This record gives sequence, structure tokens and C-alpha cells, in this order.
Amino acid sequence: MRDAILDIQDLELRHPSEGVGTLNLKIKGGEGLVVLGRNGSGKSTLLKTMAGLVRPVKGRILLSGQDVGTMSPRDRARDLALVFSTPPHDTPLTVRDVLELALDAGGSAFDDDALGAAMERGRIASWADMPMGALSDGMAQRVMMVRAFVQARSWILMDEPTAFLDIVARREFMDDVGRWCEEGKSVVLATHDLEAVEQAGWAHRWLLVRPPAQGGSILMDRQFNAEEARGLLLSHA
Amino acid sequence: MRRQNSLWLIGLLLVLFLAGLLTGPAGLSWAEQGAALVGQGDELARTILWRLRLPRLCMAALSGAALGLSGLLMQTYFRNALAGPSVLGVSSGATLGVALVALGGVALGTAGESLGLAPQVLGALMGSGTVMVLLGLVTGRFRSRTALLIFGLMVGYLTGALVTVLQAEAEAGALQAFVHWGMGSFSHGGWLACALVLLALLPAVIWAAREASRLDMWTLGMLTARSMGVNDRRLTWSALGTSGALAGLVTAWCGPIAFLGLATPHLVRAAGVNGRHRRMLWPVLLTGANLALFADGVVRWMGIPLNAVLSLVGAPVVLMLIMRWGPFGKTHSQAQLR
Repeated sequence: MRDAILDIQDLELRHPSEGVGTLNLKIKGGEGLVVLGRNGSGKSTLLKTMAGLVRPVKGRILLSGQDVGTMSPRDRARDLALVFSTPPHDTPLTVRDVLELALDAGGSAFDDDALGAAMERGRIASWADMPMGALSDGMAQRVMMVRAFVQARSWILMDEPTAFLDIVARREFMDDVGRWCEEGKSVVLATHDLEAVEQAGWAHRWLLVRPPAQGGSILMDRQFNAEEARGLLLSHA
Repeated sequence: MRRQNSLWLIGLLLVLFLAGLLTGPAGLSWAEQGAALVGQGDELARTILWRLRLPRLCMAALSGAALGLSGLLMQTYFRNALAGPSVLGVSSGATLGVALVALGGVALGTAGESLGLAPQVLGALMGSGTVMVLLGLVTGRFRSRTALLIFGLMVGYLTGALVTVLQAEAEAGALQAFVHWGMGSFSHGGWLACALVLLALLPAVIWAAREASRLDMWTLGMLTARSMGVNDRRLTWSALGTSGALAGLVTAWCGPIAFLGLATPHLVRAAGVNGRHRRMLWPVLLTGANLALFADGVVRWMGIPLNAVLSLVGAPVVLMLIMRWGPFGKTHSQAQLR
């Protein structure tokens, strides 16, 4: 969905209390945006607001021209999926169940072949019949990423999804994100994993979220550089 | 495999139903019972079958199914294997309603009046209805589901305290009638009660079947479910309303027998039916009905109270299954061992 555009207009977030300034930003289909910031800076709130789960204090977010705040939850779920940092474990569902639900949430008819192909690509096919509770955090998180990929037509928002992944899995994950972008999906990734993002090489835009007292949020329209990002993050420590 | 499970459960249901219908202390012959079933023969036999046994068995099966579904919804909503129809405090409300009618009347000086069923049912319905309204008022204010669990617990303590005060002041006859109601029974319903429980159960089953996928998404966590298109507020209202209404209606006629609702989903999971709600729905309904019919059979056979039978038989079975397979059932446990 390369024609899809996420348009953030005059956005002011509900959290944190000191704010992140007013955000104006357009993200095109097939783009990857990295969101950086210290703990509690508002990264998660920004992603939840973009997903329509939290109302902004001011401003709006348009998804292909439609305000995400007024879209029905089902319509929103077809376009956009959100992955959280902690995967679910106390669910009785199997991996296959989760992906069947993702197809349902995305408005697609059940298709066993498509499901099998998605699991193969996500390297989770061998766990298909295992309950989520039997998987490690890293395995379960991988399932939730494939879930988002199967569900959403255009936008995948991820909130520190690599927190539980080992060093190899992180690299594989960042490469997967690059492939998703090439296929036209757009990814907004909030992370502290600077080196892995730089190594993957797909991030051409990045947003540093911080309160106005520290200079406010800034959008960088250039290739992600871990050293530069680290410098910015530490400049007000 | 799923169809096979349901066929077994339907077969067992028929056996238990027929056993309950055609056996009893009246000593009726097969011929008398056959004639009575088609509306012929001895009037006493017709009365026993059509006004006592059939409504009692129907009430048991419908109540078991209703409480099973109510328990499943609560375990899904609270993501807690200990949740059951009683956690919302609806049964506690019904108990207070009955206590006010049965025992409050004593305090008001009507001790001489015998306790009729109708005021008791009305009291229970008013009590559970009041708790449902309170639930509706507070649900939106709670930020976590645990807060709602605590609400149910507090309603239980409050009503328990009020009931204790009423009991302390009550006359012996009324107290005995109240204690008897608390023991639970499927025999007080009659056809009207069966019809009302059925009227509540049918839309509840249709709703649960339609929303099965949304209920599944809930088990992935509230935020993930919302990100998958679940309208959390609407589903919460529907699930709490459905579960509470089923529990309240059954409690009004049968007394507080909520253990059935807690145990039924566990038995189904222990049998290996787990995961998606569309897989669990029919086994839960049928297992609940079977468990209720079985317990009612033991009540009639041994003459001990229904709640005692359910707890004596059910609690060790659930404990044994949980100790063996864990709270998420057989398939889950096997996978963990792989």
C-alpha cells in the first residue's frame, strides 16, 4: 500500500505531562520511521495515539485521509497493527490460532496456504501447533510480529519489540522490517536498539521524542546513525 | 475430534436425561411412564413426569449450560482460571435479596407467614438485578479488571454481613427455609423458569458464537485485542451483562450453585478442548448440562443437597485435573513438556 499516507497534524500527546511539543509529520507507504527517546519520553503514547488507542490532547492523525480517532476499531485494525514490548503468555491460543485471528482482524477470509506461507516467512512454521504459553518471550514476540504483518494492510507500529530478543534474533528482526518496507508496508519502530537499526540500514527517517524544555522533538530526514542518535539522547542527560 | 467430543457429550446428556426421567421413588412401571409421557394413563403418573421430573431435568440441563457459559466468559474476561459466575457479586446480590424477603419479613413481624417461592424468586431477581445495575455504573470507572474482581469480592462481603445480621434476628422456620434455598436445587423451577432461562441462554449462545473470535483476541491482552479491532467497551458490557444475567436467573430459582460455572470450563480444558472459544462453546454448554444432570441424579438418589454434591464430586476432580495438567488443560501441558 505505497499510496497510504499517515499524516500527523499539530499533534500534542496526553503523556508525558511535560509534553513532547507539537508534532507534524507525514509518513509514506513503504517507509520505516524509527522513534527514539528516553524512558517515559512519550514514545509508547505516540504509538498508541497513532493507533487510535489513546486520544491526543490536540491535533489529529490521518490515515489515507481518514482520522484514526473516528475510524471504527475494525476498519482501523485492517490498516494498522500495533505490537507491544511484552508478548502474551497466559493465553490458551496456539500460534496458528493467533494467526487465524490476525487474518480475521485484517478482514481477510481464512486461507490455509497464505497462513502457511506467512509462518514460513516469519520462521515460525515449526511452532504452529504450540500454545503461546509454551514459547519463550523471544519466540512469542516473533509470533506477534508475524501476527501484525498478516493483519495490517499498510501500517505496523512496534513499541520496543526487540526487548526480549537475543542478538541474532534482533538482527533477523531488523532485516525482516527492511523486507516489509520493500513490500510496501510502513513500519514505525520505537526502540533503544540503536546498533541493530543502523546495521539493518532501512531507516532513512528518525524521530527523537523529548520535552520542549530539552529542545523538543526533532525529525531527522537522513540515514540513521547510531552515534549521532546516541549523542542527541545524551545531550540532555 | 471436536465433533466426536460433542457427540459423546450429547449421548451422555441423553442417557442422564432419560435415567432421570424414568427413575424415581414413585415406583412407576415402564408402561405407566410410557403412557404418561404421551399424555395418557394414570393422572398421578402424568403429574410426576410432566410437572415434577421433566421441568426439574430441563431446569438442571439449562442451568448447567448457562452457568458453564457464564463461567467461561468470566474466566476469559478476567484472564483468571479462578473466575466463575459468582465473581461479579451477582449471586451474592441474589442471596441478599432472598434473605431480605425470607428473613427480613421475620424482622418486620411476619414470622407466621410461610415462605412462598414467588417472593423468594422476586427477591433473588431484585438482588441480582441491583448488583448488575451497580456493575454497570462502576465498570467504566475501573481502570483494571482486578478492580472489578475486588468489587465483586466486596459486594460478597457486604451482602454476607447483611445476611448474617438478618440471620441473627431471624425466626427458626424462616432461617431453615433460607438455609435450604442456599443448598441449591433444580426442583423449584417449573416450566416458567425453564422458559425464562432458555430465553436468556439462546441469545447468549448466539452472541458468544458470533463474538468467539473477539473473545479469543481478549486472551492476547486488552491493548493487543484493541489493536486487532476489538471494541473493548462494548465487548466488556456484553460479556458482563450476559454472564451476570445468566448467573442471576439461575440463582433466582436454583440458589447459589456457582461452583458449576467455575468447574465446567476446567473439565472441558482438561479433556483437551482448549484455545478458541468456538471450539470450547458447545463442549462447555454440554458439559455444564451433563454435570448438572449428574449432580441432580445424585441428589435424588442419596438425598443430600445439590451444592454439597457438586463440591464433593467437583472439587476433587478439578483439583486432580489441575494438578495433573495445569490450569490451561491437557494440550497446553503436553506442549510445555515438548
